[in-house]
Amino acid sequence: MFELLSISLIPLAICLLCAFRVPNSTLRISITGLIWLKLIIVLFITAPVFYRGNSSVSLFTDFGIDRLSASFVILTNVVAASSFSHAALFFRNEDKLGRLTEPRNESWFYFYAALFLCAMDFVFISENLGFMWIAIEATTLFSAALVYYGRDKHALEATWKYLIVCSVGIAFALLGTILFFASSQFYSSAGTLDIRMLTNSAKQLQPKFVQLGYIFCLLGYGTKAGLFPLHTWLPDAHSEAPAPASAMLSGSLLNCSLFAICRLTELVKHTDHAVLATEVPIIWGALTTLTSSLFLVNQMGLKRLWAYSSIENVGIMLSAIGLGAPSLFFLQAVNHSLAKVALFLLSGNIIQLNGSKDVSQIRGVLTSSPALAFTLVLAAAALTGMPPFGSFISEWLILLKASDSAQVLCAVVLILSLALSFVAISVHVLNMVLGSPKQVNKLSLPFSSVLVPILLCFCSLMLGVTGLAQIILETL
Amino acid sequence: MNLSAPELCLLMAALVACLTLGSLHLSVNLGLFAIETVLIALATAFMGGITGDRELYVIALLIFCFKAFTVPLFLSWISDKLMAQRDIGSFLPAPLSMHLCLILFVLSFALAKEIPVSHAAGHSWPGASAGISLLLSGLILMLARRLAISQVVGFLVIENGIYTFALTQTRGMPLMVEMGILLDLLVAVMVAGLLIFKIQKNFEHIDIAQLKDLRD
Amino acid sequence: MSSIATWSSYLLTVIIFPPLCLGVVRKTKARLQNRVGPAVWQPFFDLHRLTKKRETLSDTMCGVFRLSTVVGLSTTFALAWFIPWVPIKPWSPHADIFTVIYLFALERFFTLLGAMDSGSAFGAFGASRDVTLNLLVEPALCLALVSLSIIANSTDLGAIFSFSHFSTVSLVWFCAGTSIFLTSLAELGRMPVDDPTTHLELTMIHEAMTLEASARNLFLLEFTRMLKLTLFLALSAQCYLRIWAGFATLAPFQQELLVLIGVLLMAIFVGILESLVVKLQWRKVPEFVAYIVTVSLISVFVAMAGNTSL
Repeated sequence: MFELLSISLIPLAICLLCAFRVPNSTLRISITGLIWLKLIIVLFITAPVFYRGNSSVSLFTDFGIDRLSASFVILTNVVAASSFSHAALFFRNEDKLGRLTEPRNESWFYFYAALFLCAMDFVFISENLGFMWIAIEATTLFSAALVYYGRDKHALEATWKYLIVCSVGIAFALLGTILFFASSQFYSSAGTLDIRMLTNSAKQLQPKFVQLGYIFCLLGYGTKAGLFPLHTWLPDAHSEAPAPASAMLSGSLLNCSLFAICRLTELVKHTDHAVLATEVPIIWGALTTLTSSLFLVNQMGLKRLWAYSSIENVGIMLSAIGLGAPSLFFLQAVNHSLAKVALFLLSGNIIQLNGSKDVSQIRGVLTSSPALAFTLVLAAAALTGMPPFGSFISEWLILLKASDSAQVLCAVVLILSLALSFVAISVHVLNMVLGSPKQVNKLSLPFSSVLVPILLCFCSLMLGVTGLAQIILETL
Repeated sequence: MNLSAPELCLLMAALVACLTLGSLHLSVNLGLFAIETVLIALATAFMGGITGDRELYVIALLIFCFKAFTVPLFLSWISDKLMAQRDIGSFLPAPLSMHLCLILFVLSFALAKEIPVSHAAGHSWPGASAGISLLLSGLILMLARRLAISQVVGFLVIENGIYTFALTQTRGMPLMVEMGILLDLLVAVMVAGLLIFKIQKNFEHIDIAQLKDLRD
Repeated sequence: MSSIATWSSYLLTVIIFPPLCLGVVRKTKARLQNRVGPAVWQPFFDLHRLTKKRETLSDTMCGVFRLSTVVGLSTTFALAWFIPWVPIKPWSPHADIFTVIYLFALERFFTLLGAMDSGSAFGAFGASRDVTLNLLVEPALCLALVSLSIIANSTDLGAIFSFSHFSTVSLVWFCAGTSIFLTSLAELGRMPVDDPTTHLELTMIHEAMTLEASARNLFLLEFTRMLKLTLFLALSAQCYLRIWAGFATLAPFQQELLVLIGVLLMAIFVGILESLVVKLQWRKVPEFVAYIVTVSLISVFVAMAGNTSL
């Protein structure tokens, strides 16, 4: 109980700060402080899980963490901390450019972002499928407010699509959850939604209900994760949200729904019908990866580019889930989140600098801001899986795992699409970095504005060059 | 076919959902949605009477107060404010979509037959087919309509279908979960309602089919 | 019951009842509009007056016009002969539902011919609207009757209305009755579809077809319409009565009495409906008809479910 309270304490404090109309400059500093404090609190709460011989901790009835969920909670909070810290700089630049028409919008942003973060935490710590569903639906509602930050026609359209598509998708996940509950009532009349109890009694569950429930949950949470062809909302929402919000959407929200899928896949793998939980995610993941890498080639919106790359990574992670490797899934999620958050945050600055979201309009970042260009190249390299970075290792391991489990076709498709996306992203990034600038806003970006992305890239690099990846894989 | 009281209510709710498809008038749609939800609340209460589960009475009351009463009122208030009375309809004419829905209503019986039955849990297949039928009606409503308000109504009908399914195929979802779901739904409707106002203000219409600036 | 009593009661219902029904409808409407209104037997005087008037015929008419009214009334009488619309009938032939539907179509066909024969533009467009409407409504009537035949396992209306074992499918009776009732509103140009009292040419449907008729022709047309109204109302009244399972066990004259009271009640209901409801736009009539078809479809589905005893 104490842990739950302490997790939600800081977001509530942020909400209060926003509600009391604290001036924006104070708000930025205090929120940055608070969010790092939250990260520390989360580290303290999750630490017991990682002690030897202690793989799960119950926090309250229906709430608890094991190593995987604890890792995801930490990852989410790291992403949030970097996004919030960068948001302070981002909004200061917006202020300078005079694009912050309504100062209240900024505090509304923090308000909903804090609630959003809280909802995401609850996705990971709830052990009850019902609460997990509620938390995921709550993330949709709160992040819809973040997408609507721009207050213009495009933002409105993106928000509407996001809200409707995800709500309907999530409704199917609810149906799936109900089916799981119904399946459990075949062996115990009370029934349960507790994921641990369901997994323990997996063989006694009604198989038809479990299969149907899994399909529906995959469909529902898959919509939220942006699996092809249910991804339509994702590029719109990511490109219309302000950069820090896009970073959180891509770096942690997608993980939430994938985490739910992962938990259910583990459950179904324990039943007698494990084939379903292997074949479907692998095939769907490979398909998603392939199609989104095709979308990458001719993509003109800067943030849409990263959005499609997120979909691609979601596909890879789903394949990892299907291959029965939650630890690889987490590793890939960490690498993707670090690189993608850095990229979204940088894109916010690039867009501020060039005044355009269009990739073809952005040229010569190297001349206008060398630090930005350097970090951009670094982060793009980390994203596409260049060797010294962590994503190289995780992608390599996933490919190995795929070919080991006789999923050669999946491996081939993944390699093809990874190569395609590497080429596409490199071409786009190099085009942006080189050349002569077309039009540049009079905005001097301080070094601090690339500080967070550089740190994230450094973390990604550390995951690649040190034995950290190995430690993570062994711990989980 | 011997139907128990909750099953009868649920089947009637599914039929009312089919009828919703037949009219393009928002007021008619919302009225029929309210009737449908009242029937579902009634079914919940009857179910409570049969199983002796007190929680079901609470849920029935909540559904009646919020879903059957507040939400339709809120939506009709919006449509009054925006002076949107009639949907434009999309590729499927309203009468045809109603008849299609009826056919799906019958097919859902066949689908529901496939659902395994546990007598311990008191499953009923007419109830399950009502749930499936409601779900499909909601989907068709969302596909066949263009106004934002109708989309929200379609979403609510889908949600009703899922609830119906839960009511008849499981016994006693935890009350906390049910309440959380209901709360989420209410918030979603409120957010959607606010967005509809913004859409009207920015675009001067609430036709979703015309929102297609963002695409690849 | 002796055959004379049967004959006389039948003839009485066939001759006296149709004008009385219309009178009741008009009286109800008048009362609801705070008027005293004409007496319920006013239609008799109207009909009587029509027989005494001199006939005016358009120059362009050929014999079809005179023929159409006669054929129309005789077809409707034949229908009244076939359909078991009252429980006491001197003769109950095999009334196949498809025969019934085609006889209705025959009557309509001749009315249309007559309307077009008059050569007036209104007649033609009234005919065109009427035929469109009937085209839409016909499936509803067919399906409603089919649903009844499904539960009785027979296409003979006589057998259907003497079938007494379906207390479990009273929903079918309800839906079919509603469907037949709504069909009659659409088919006879009653209120939500057509306003029988209006004489504004642009909105008329049925009245436009009778504009050119006068005297004896008008008498025939009017009586045909009253009889058709009575037939439909009696059919739906019987359907409603059969929701109550005990109805089939009553003696014939009790049934007869109940049906006649039922028809009068339905007539009053029509009157109430006509004073409450506004006329639909012509464009929205298909929507209304779609609902009738839906009710019929529901009736068919329920009948199928009941018949296979799922």
